[in-house]
Amino acid sequence: MSGRVIVITSGKGGVGKTTTNANIGTALARAGKKVVMIDTDLGLRNLDLLLGLENRIVYTIVDVVEERCKLKQALVKDKKNPNLCLLAAAQTRDKTAVTEEQLKDICEKLKKDFDFILVDCPAGIEQGFQNAVAGASEAIVVTTPEMSAVRDADRIIGLLEAKEEIKSYKLLLNRVRPNLIKSNDMMSVDDVVEILSAELIGIIPEDTGIITSTNKGEPIVNDEKSLAGKAYNNVARRIIGEDVPFLNLEEPQGVMAKIKKFFSGLTGKEK
Amino acid sequence: MILANLYNKVIGFFRQTETQETESAKETACNRLRVVLMQDRTNLTPELMERMRKEMVELLSKYVEMDKDALELNLEQDGDQVALMLSIPVIRAKDEEEIKAALEEEETKEEIKDEDESLEDEKDIDEDIEEDIEEMPEENSDPIEENEEEDEKESSKEQLKDKKDRE
Repeated sequence: MSGRVIVITSGKGGVGKTTTNANIGTALARAGKKVVMIDTDLGLRNLDLLLGLENRIVYTIVDVVEERCKLKQALVKDKKNPNLCLLAAAQTRDKTAVTEEQLKDICEKLKKDFDFILVDCPAGIEQGFQNAVAGASEAIVVTTPEMSAVRDADRIIGLLEAKEEIKSYKLLLNRVRPNLIKSNDMMSVDDVVEILSAELIGIIPEDTGIITSTNKGEPIVNDEKSLAGKAYNNVARRIIGEDVPFLNLEEPQGVMAKIKKFFSGLTGKEK
Repeated sequence: MILANLYNKVIGFFRQTETQETESAKETACNRLRVVLMQDRTNLTPELMERMRKEMVELLSKYVEMDKDALELNLEQDGDQVALMLSIPVIRAKDEEEIKAALEEEETKEEIKDEDESLEDEKDIDEDIEEDIEEMPEENSDPIEENEEEDEKESSKEQLKDKKDRE
């Protein structure tokens, strides 16, 4: 087996890198792929929380690098899906604890046993980013339709293009708010794609369900009814190579409007 | 002809401010982003752009009388390429005498500086602008849009590459 190493990055913090990582990883595993996620955000680890695995971590990536344990010992299996593993970041160390070479080496070893290695990149463009990108050959750039996030994504794209090892990168547009786009208050998907001139791999709508799913440590792709979950599932299918059309994000608005109409109709009758 | 131009310019000015007022938050964001990304991608700081603009004004005012404050020099995205767009509102073309005088003045300056190779290029620009003035239709309220020479495009592209290489 020779797995694909995909780094999930953004430049700006708080745009949803880790959420994206947890959800794409879970969706790929649900599709029957063997997936390992590497949290490279040393000192600020969070991927374990989103997956609900924080109490199961015994060894971290730093323990692997410093040879306190074998690589396989440090892989934490997901509660639900045996196809899914996590290699957690150390919370007590900083970005210098692991080097680019060491990360490359870990990725190479994991490629033999997994279909997908998802690398969760820290925010910023410093050493943490360089480390995370080192072992990857593909990248997903997460951004939101906000100016600062788009600007940072552009910077990241520039850096990725300069890296020979990165063969392709795709754009994932997160926290899209169709009603704001409709009223011309927010940049549209097309605007962002045109400005960054990058290929799109997913459009994720803003969804309050993300907050509850994070609180529960349960990725939203497990929720069949969630629109964001559906969108993340579609991203995973596109990664596998399926041709999936982008969701029509205006539909749920229509449903809401219908429900409102329905209720307003009822109250109208009561009067 | 001059009056018509002036009229068009005034009308154009008001039209511009009107559209600016109704610009949506989304358009503002897109436009601001485009400008800032051009700067990010090319290393051309606002100071350098301003300097370039000033030098353009100095150079071109030898040949045409223009609205110096309205001259716009912007980097724009044209597909994958970055283009340098120069928009010059021409008030009137200078007559031969004036151009000659300006050039002579320039020549004496250049003799001091000991460099005269750029003169040929300037003449080319001069011809281009004069052609544009003649072709400009009456109802055209837009200032002359001049796509800068290819080599300038090239140089900004090169800068882009340089930047990426360094990174």
